[in-house]
Amino acid sequence: MTFYQNEILRIKNMCYANTAQIQKVVATRNYIEKHFDKPLNLDSLSHAGFTSKYHLLRLFKRYYGQTPMQFLIDKRIEKSKFYLKKGITISETCYLVGFESPSSFSTLFKKKTGYMPSNFQKKQFSQSRSIGDF
Amino acid sequence: MKVKVLSIPVQDQAKALAFYTEILGFVKKVDVPLSEDSRWLTVVSKEEQDGPEILLEPSPKHFEPAKTYQRSLFEAGIPYTQFNVENMQQEYDRLSALGVVFSIKPTEMGTVKIAVFDDTCGNNIQIVEML
Repeated sequence: MTFYQNEILRIKNMCYANTAQIQKVVATRNYIEKHFDKPLNLDSLSHAGFTSKYHLLRLFKRYYGQTPMQFLIDKRIEKSKFYLKKGITISETCYLVGFESPSSFSTLFKKKTGYMPSNFQKKQFSQSRSIGDF
Repeated sequence: MKVKVLSIPVQDQAKALAFYTEILGFVKKVDVPLSEDSRWLTVVSKEEQDGPEILLEPSPKHFEPAKTYQRSLFEAGIPYTQFNVENMQQEYDRLSALGVVFSIKPTEMGTVKIAVFDDTCGNNIQIVEML
Protein backbone atom coordinates (compact mmCIF):
# COMPACT_ATOMS: atom_id res chain seq x y z
CA MET A 1 0.00 0.00 0.00
CA THR A 2 1.22 3.49 -0.83
CA PHE A 3 1.32 6.33 1.68
CA TYR A 4 -1.69 7.94 -0.01
CA GLN A 5 -3.77 4.74 0.03
CA ASN A 6 -3.15 4.48 3.78
CA GLU A 7 -4.11 8.12 4.25
CA ILE A 8 -7.35 7.65 2.31
CA LEU A 9 -8.33 4.75 4.56
CA ARG A 10 -7.38 6.64 7.72
CA ILE A 11 -9.33 9.78 6.72
CA LYS A 12 -12.31 7.75 5.58
CA ASN A 13 -12.54 5.99 8.95
CA MET A 14 -11.92 9.17 10.90
CA CYS A 15 -14.16 11.66 9.04
CA TYR A 16 -16.76 9.71 7.11
CA ALA A 17 -17.89 6.95 9.43
CA ASN A 18 -21.34 8.43 10.10
CA THR A 19 -23.18 7.24 6.98
CA ALA A 20 -26.59 8.49 8.19
CA GLN A 21 -25.29 12.07 8.38
CA ILE A 22 -23.60 11.78 4.99
CA GLN A 23 -26.78 10.45 3.36
CA LYS A 24 -28.67 13.40 4.80
CA VAL A 25 -26.33 16.05 3.38
CA VAL A 26 -25.96 14.28 0.03
CA ALA A 27 -29.77 14.15 -0.22
CA THR A 28 -29.93 17.87 0.57
CA ARG A 29 -27.36 18.68 -2.12
CA ASN A 30 -29.28 16.56 -4.65
CA TYR A 31 -32.47 18.35 -3.66
CA ILE A 32 -30.83 21.73 -4.33
CA GLU A 33 -29.48 20.44 -7.68
CA LYS A 34 -33.01 19.49 -8.74
CA HIS A 35 -34.93 22.45 -7.29
CA PHE A 36 -32.45 25.36 -7.56
CA ASP A 37 -35.00 27.30 -9.66
CA LYS A 38 -37.58 27.21 -6.85
CA PRO A 39 -37.68 29.62 -3.88
CA LEU A 40 -35.48 27.57 -1.55
CA ASN A 41 -34.37 28.59 1.92
CA LEU A 42 -33.01 26.87 4.99
CA ASP A 43 -36.54 26.23 6.30
CA SER A 44 -37.72 24.48 3.14
CA LEU A 45 -34.50 22.47 2.88
CA SER A 46 -34.68 21.30 6.49
CA HIS A 47 -38.36 20.47 6.01
CA ALA A 48 -37.52 18.38 2.90
CA GLY A 49 -34.75 16.61 4.79
CA PHE A 50 -36.80 16.07 7.99
CA THR A 51 -34.24 17.68 10.23
CA SER A 52 -33.83 20.94 12.13
CA LYS A 53 -32.42 23.80 10.09
CA TYR A 54 -29.49 24.51 12.38
CA HIS A 55 -28.51 20.84 12.44
CA LEU A 56 -28.70 20.72 8.63
CA LEU A 57 -26.67 23.91 8.32
CA ARG A 58 -23.97 22.51 10.61
CA LEU A 59 -23.84 19.14 8.83
CA PHE A 60 -23.80 20.61 5.32
CA LYS A 61 -21.02 23.01 6.22
CA ARG A 62 -19.03 20.25 7.87
CA TYR A 63 -19.18 17.86 4.91
CA TYR A 64 -19.24 20.25 1.93
CA GLY A 65 -17.25 23.14 3.38
CA GLN A 66 -19.93 25.72 2.50
CA THR A 67 -23.48 26.47 3.61
CA PRO A 68 -26.48 25.16 1.62
CA MET A 69 -27.31 28.73 0.57
CA GLN A 70 -23.77 29.35 -0.69
CA PHE A 71 -24.01 26.12 -2.66
CA LEU A 72 -27.41 27.20 -4.04
CA ILE A 73 -26.06 30.57 -5.18
CA ASP A 74 -23.10 28.92 -6.94
CA LYS A 75 -25.47 26.51 -8.67
CA ARG A 76 -27.73 29.34 -9.83
CA ILE A 77 -24.79 31.40 -11.12
CA GLU A 78 -23.39 28.38 -12.99
CA LYS A 79 -26.80 27.74 -14.56
CA SER A 80 -27.32 31.41 -15.41
CA LYS A 81 -24.05 31.38 -17.40
CA PHE A 82 -25.51 28.52 -19.41
CA TYR A 83 -28.69 30.49 -20.18
CA LEU A 84 -26.87 33.73 -20.94
CA LYS A 85 -24.56 31.88 -23.35
CA LYS A 86 -27.66 30.61 -25.14
CA GLY A 87 -28.82 34.21 -25.66
CA ILE A 88 -31.67 34.20 -23.10
CA THR A 89 -32.37 37.73 -21.78
CA ILE A 90 -31.00 38.80 -18.41
CA SER A 91 -34.37 39.14 -16.67
CA GLU A 92 -35.57 35.82 -18.07
CA THR A 93 -32.35 34.15 -16.95
CA CYS A 94 -32.78 35.67 -13.50
CA TYR A 95 -36.21 34.06 -13.06
CA LEU A 96 -35.23 30.78 -14.75
CA VAL A 97 -32.53 30.14 -12.13
CA GLY A 98 -34.69 31.11 -9.17
CA PHE A 99 -33.62 34.70 -8.36
CA GLU A 100 -36.38 37.19 -7.71
CA SER A 101 -34.88 40.51 -8.69
CA PRO A 102 -32.87 41.19 -11.90
CA SER A 103 -30.91 43.98 -10.22
CA SER A 104 -29.77 41.87 -7.27
CA PHE A 105 -29.05 39.02 -9.72
CA SER A 106 -26.82 41.34 -11.76
CA THR A 107 -24.95 42.51 -8.67
CA LEU A 108 -24.40 38.94 -7.48
CA PHE A 109 -23.39 37.78 -10.96
CA LYS A 110 -20.78 40.55 -11.13
CA LYS A 111 -19.45 39.63 -7.70
CA LYS A 112 -19.12 35.95 -8.60
CA THR A 113 -17.86 36.16 -12.19
CA GLY A 114 -16.30 39.61 -12.49
CA TYR A 115 -18.75 40.65 -15.23
CA MET A 116 -22.21 42.18 -15.36
CA PRO A 117 -24.56 39.70 -17.10
CA SER A 118 -24.84 42.04 -20.11
CA ASN A 119 -21.04 42.21 -20.48
CA PHE A 120 -20.74 38.46 -19.99
CA GLN A 121 -23.26 37.92 -22.78
CA LYS A 122 -21.49 40.41 -25.09
CA LYS A 123 -18.17 38.68 -24.42
CA GLN A 124 -19.61 35.26 -25.27
CA PHE A 125 -21.19 36.63 -28.42
CA SER A 126 -18.01 38.32 -29.64
CA GLN A 127 -15.95 35.20 -28.85
CA SER A 128 -18.24 32.90 -30.80
CA ARG A 129 -18.36 35.39 -33.70
CA SER A 130 -14.58 35.71 -33.87
CA ILE A 131 -14.24 31.90 -33.89
CA GLY A 132 -16.75 31.83 -36.76
CA ASP A 133 -14.82 34.54 -38.66
CA PHE A 134 -11.66 32.47 -38.68
CA MET B 1 -5.94 38.34 -9.57
CA LYS B 2 -7.54 35.58 -11.58
CA VAL B 3 -6.73 31.88 -11.90
CA LYS B 4 -5.89 31.36 -15.55
CA VAL B 5 -3.04 28.84 -15.73
CA LEU B 6 -2.10 25.93 -13.47
CA SER B 7 0.96 23.76 -14.02
CA ILE B 8 1.48 20.03 -14.18
CA PRO B 9 5.13 18.96 -14.38
CA VAL B 10 5.75 16.45 -17.18
CA GLN B 11 8.82 14.56 -18.26
CA ASP B 12 8.00 14.61 -21.97
CA GLN B 13 5.75 17.33 -23.39
CA ALA B 14 4.85 15.55 -26.65
CA LYS B 15 3.88 12.40 -24.79
CA ALA B 16 1.95 14.47 -22.24
CA LEU B 17 0.05 16.32 -24.96
CA ALA B 18 -0.97 12.99 -26.52
CA PHE B 19 -2.14 11.60 -23.16
CA TYR B 20 -4.03 14.71 -22.04
CA THR B 21 -5.79 15.18 -25.40
CA GLU B 22 -6.22 11.68 -26.85
CA ILE B 23 -6.86 9.78 -23.61
CA LEU B 24 -8.28 12.33 -21.15
CA GLY B 25 -10.06 14.39 -23.83
CA PHE B 26 -8.62 17.86 -23.14
CA VAL B 27 -8.12 20.31 -26.01
CA LYS B 28 -4.83 22.01 -26.91
CA LYS B 29 -5.10 25.78 -26.39
CA VAL B 30 -1.66 27.40 -26.66
CA ASP B 31 1.55 26.00 -28.14
CA VAL B 32 4.51 28.38 -28.33
CA PRO B 33 8.08 27.13 -28.95
CA LEU B 34 10.43 28.50 -26.27
CA SER B 35 13.67 26.66 -26.97
CA GLU B 36 14.87 23.62 -28.85
CA ASP B 37 13.19 21.17 -26.49
CA SER B 38 10.54 23.10 -24.57
CA ARG B 39 7.25 24.78 -25.40
CA TRP B 40 4.65 26.90 -23.58
CA LEU B 41 2.02 24.23 -24.00
CA THR B 42 -1.44 24.44 -22.46
CA VAL B 43 -4.63 22.38 -22.64
CA VAL B 44 -8.17 23.12 -21.47
CA SER B 45 -11.23 21.08 -20.61
CA LYS B 46 -13.31 20.33 -23.71
CA GLU B 47 -16.53 21.32 -21.91
CA GLU B 48 -15.04 24.51 -20.46
CA GLN B 49 -12.67 25.89 -23.06
CA ASP B 50 -12.71 29.37 -21.54
CA GLY B 51 -11.80 27.90 -18.13
CA PRO B 52 -8.33 27.62 -16.55
CA GLU B 53 -5.52 26.32 -18.74
CA ILE B 54 -3.21 23.51 -17.66
CA LEU B 55 0.40 24.18 -18.49
CA LEU B 56 2.23 20.96 -19.31
CA GLU B 57 5.57 22.18 -18.14
CA PRO B 58 8.83 20.29 -18.49
CA SER B 59 10.52 21.22 -15.20
CA PRO B 60 11.43 17.60 -14.26
CA LYS B 61 13.53 17.45 -17.43
CA HIS B 62 15.51 20.60 -16.75
CA PHE B 63 15.56 21.01 -12.96
CA GLU B 64 16.77 18.12 -10.81
CA PRO B 65 14.89 19.10 -7.59
CA ALA B 66 11.62 19.17 -9.59
CA LYS B 67 12.36 15.69 -10.85
CA THR B 68 13.08 14.45 -7.31
CA TYR B 69 9.91 16.10 -5.93
CA GLN B 70 7.76 14.64 -8.71
CA ARG B 71 9.22 11.16 -8.23
CA SER B 72 8.72 11.28 -4.44
CA LEU B 73 5.06 12.24 -4.80
CA PHE B 74 4.53 9.58 -7.43
CA GLU B 75 6.09 6.82 -5.32
CA ALA B 76 3.97 7.82 -2.32
CA GLY B 77 0.89 7.59 -4.55
CA ILE B 78 0.03 11.23 -3.87
CA PRO B 79 -1.96 13.10 -6.52
CA TYR B 80 -0.98 16.74 -6.79
CA THR B 81 -3.75 17.64 -9.25
CA GLN B 82 -7.40 16.72 -9.45
CA PHE B 83 -10.14 17.02 -12.04
CA ASN B 84 -13.89 16.85 -11.55
CA VAL B 85 -16.03 14.36 -13.45
CA GLU B 86 -19.81 14.05 -13.76
CA ASN B 87 -19.94 10.27 -13.51
CA MET B 88 -17.04 8.44 -11.86
CA GLN B 89 -17.97 4.92 -12.92
CA GLN B 90 -18.41 5.94 -16.56
CA GLU B 91 -15.07 7.76 -16.58
CA TYR B 92 -13.31 4.91 -14.80
CA ASP B 93 -14.66 2.38 -17.33
CA ARG B 94 -13.75 4.61 -20.28
CA LEU B 95 -10.18 5.27 -19.09
CA SER B 96 -9.59 1.65 -18.03
CA ALA B 97 -10.64 0.49 -21.50
CA LEU B 98 -8.01 2.87 -22.93
CA GLY B 99 -5.33 1.23 -20.78
CA VAL B 100 -5.08 3.84 -18.01
CA VAL B 101 -3.77 2.34 -14.75
CA PHE B 102 -5.53 3.23 -11.50
CA SER B 103 -3.77 3.07 -8.12
CA ILE B 104 -7.09 3.83 -6.36
CA LYS B 105 -10.28 2.49 -7.90
CA PRO B 106 -13.53 4.45 -7.44
CA THR B 107 -13.92 4.89 -3.68
CA GLU B 108 -16.54 6.78 -1.72
CA MET B 109 -15.15 9.36 0.68
CA GLY B 110 -18.16 10.88 2.38
CA THR B 111 -19.66 13.39 -0.01
CA VAL B 112 -17.35 12.58 -2.93
CA LYS B 113 -16.22 9.59 -4.93
CA ILE B 114 -12.53 9.58 -5.86
CA ALA B 115 -10.13 7.56 -8.00
CA VAL B 116 -6.43 8.01 -8.79
CA PHE B 117 -4.61 7.14 -12.02
CA ASP B 118 -1.11 7.32 -13.52
CA ASP B 119 -0.86 10.01 -16.23
CA THR B 120 2.25 8.24 -17.69
CA CYS B 121 4.13 11.55 -17.43
CA GLY B 122 5.27 11.13 -13.84
CA ASN B 123 2.12 12.13 -11.96
CA ASN B 124 -0.79 10.65 -10.07
CA ILE B 125 -4.01 12.42 -11.02
CA GLN B 126 -7.13 12.28 -8.86
CA ILE B 127 -10.60 12.46 -10.36
CA VAL B 128 -13.58 13.39 -8.21
CA GLU B 129 -17.33 13.10 -8.50
CA MET B 130 -19.35 15.23 -6.09
CA LEU B 131 -22.14 13.15 -4.57
